[in-house]
Amino acid sequence: MGREKFVTDYREDMRIIRTAPQRVWAVIVAVVLIALPFLLNNGWIPPFNFPWVAWLTVLNLTLTAIIGAAAFNILVGNTGQVSLAHAGLLIFGTIVSGWLGPILGWDFFLILTVTLIAGAGAGLVIALPALRLKGLYLLLATLGIYYFAYFAYKRFLVSQFGFIPIIYGFPTIPEWFPGLNDGDGAFQISNNFRWYWVLMPITALSLLFMSNIVRTSEGRAFAAVKARDTAASLVGVNPVRSKLLVFMVSSAFVTMSGALQSYYLTAREEASYPFQTTLDYAIMIVLGGFSSIIGAVFGAIFFYGAPIWIDWIRQETPILRDIEFLSSYKSEINLAIFGALIVFVLVRSPDGLSGAWVKLKAYFSKWPYSA
Amino acid sequence: MVRFLTLLASGLSLGGVYALVSLGFVLVFKSTRVLNLAMGEFLMVGAYLGFFFISHLGWPFIPALVAVAILMGILGLFVHYRIMRGLVGRPFFAIVLVTIGIAIVIRGVILVVAGPIERARMTALSSRMFDIGGVKIEAFNFIIFGSALLLVGGFYVFFQRSRLGLHMRAVAENLQAASAMGISPDRVYAFAWGISLAMAGVAGVFFGHYAAAIDLNIAAIGIRAAPAAIVGGLDSVKGAIVGGLIVGTLEQVGSGYLGADYRDVIPFLILTIMLYVRPAGLYGSKELIRI
Repeated sequence: MGREKFVTDYREDMRIIRTAPQRVWAVIVAVVLIALPFLLNNGWIPPFNFPWVAWLTVLNLTLTAIIGAAAFNILVGNTGQVSLAHAGLLIFGTIVSGWLGPILGWDFFLILTVTLIAGAGAGLVIALPALRLKGLYLLLATLGIYYFAYFAYKRFLVSQFGFIPIIYGFPTIPEWFPGLNDGDGAFQISNNFRWYWVLMPITALSLLFMSNIVRTSEGRAFAAVKARDTAASLVGVNPVRSKLLVFMVSSAFVTMSGALQSYYLTAREEASYPFQTTLDYAIMIVLGGFSSIIGAVFGAIFFYGAPIWIDWIRQETPILRDIEFLSSYKSEINLAIFGALIVFVLVRSPDGLSGAWVKLKAYFSKWPYSA
Repeated sequence: MVRFLTLLASGLSLGGVYALVSLGFVLVFKSTRVLNLAMGEFLMVGAYLGFFFISHLGWPFIPALVAVAILMGILGLFVHYRIMRGLVGRPFFAIVLVTIGIAIVIRGVILVVAGPIERARMTALSSRMFDIGGVKIEAFNFIIFGSALLLVGGFYVFFQRSRLGLHMRAVAENLQAASAMGISPDRVYAFAWGISLAMAGVAGVFFGHYAAAIDLNIAAIGIRAAPAAIVGGLDSVKGAIVGGLIVGTLEQVGSGYLGADYRDVIPFLILTIMLYVRPAGLYGSKELIRI
């Protein structure tokens, strides 16, 4: 690991996977991603009573959240456009998919495509304040979008569904798809195991798309706009175009992940989108680390995984297990821990988990000379 | 007309609460350039503390208010010295996120300490009905409105006349020059945080009399007061009271006529319009960077 890799041309420099260790890691990640659901689905009991039963659900939720968090990271981390509109966009995705799916009966995969396009359109509208405002004022301008979207959502729920939640049916794989058959023609994505094989490829493709956009000339324009948009416009970058584009891309993916989440969770109601949703994604990208796609992945895994780990540690530690107080206020204590972690990470290690990971790798690769 | 005047009166007292909260925003923003998005949660802490002193221990109103203000002021000093001081010079988004982190911690701690069950509103202020030409108004509405005017007005005078107010304005205007003249920015920042949170506490005690019940939802008032601070101008004390009253009145009257669904939307509609027309706010200084 200690050897430096020298590159001889730009093409080589811009590869996603550049070095041999990275290739090894990529293979390991791919193998784990493919093997994990089989292990979890076949009731494999791991050591230490680790609660794996709930894990397929957590894994699937994490996959949907990764898309949203990565899209948020492109906007905030790569382009420096601080927007709090993503909760509003999740709501928008829920509205669009709730109208097309349960009411009009469209096909699931068609709906996902439509939400991508609709989300890009919504991104254009949201980008309008970004053309005039910067920083703090942009953040405040986008804060309202959650409230506008939530208002529209309540109206939509009451007018279309009365006071019952939107129920999303199980999506089906079309009949012509080879090898998948439930016996009666349609293949329903009805359990966590099947959902995994839908969500994982969608998430992987979305991440690939987003990390590719960062590598193109548009992506370098994003970075220039982040550094200083006036200077960027002097060297031939069009900041208006970059801002509109990044808002379109980011909003499209967030909207799609909203639709995916709604379908995966099968029911959405008025209480499904509290203001806390806005903060959840902020937690993810802060803890994971801004300005890297991998940070969003770390953040989403941590956000959904940490409550289970904390639970597990409490139940398996002899002294903690007996404290009544801790088990009766589980979610509240988790909330406080998350908040404290955000403050701690931002004050002490601004790069979050992905930064810590890089430091850890550097430590081991330079050992025993590492400080 | 009677209905309009009733809504107007309760809108003015809501505006008074908004004015206090946006004064809290302004005090911190003016000197430290930090937008404290945990303002609503600090207000909630004030409301719970007020409930503890007034409804639980049975203290009279004024001592309870002073106690809450002092405790919140100490909390403000803690926030500055333990957390915010290390963040000077960081990108603003990181600092805003730290305040969001503080907000989440407060929500968790309040849930653990006080539990999720809502508390009845406080009753230390008189709720005697005044009947003015058919318009029925509870007495605490006048008290809240009057106290908010008094407090914000007092701070305006403080900023213009006192030595510390002069120091705060100097630090806000030019940090380097002010510190070269022997003003300690650190102390000014600490003072701003202390006073700002004390304002949040006072607003919390007032709002605890006004709100239907005391629970975690009252923290939303902090987010809804952000439009008030913007309308008045984020760095203007005078703007805090004007913005607070405008937003509070429009919200109360508007949602009274259109329906409770519009309550959250109206302040942000005002905010959006304001940011398009005049981003610096009514009284704010026009230093906003544009493309």
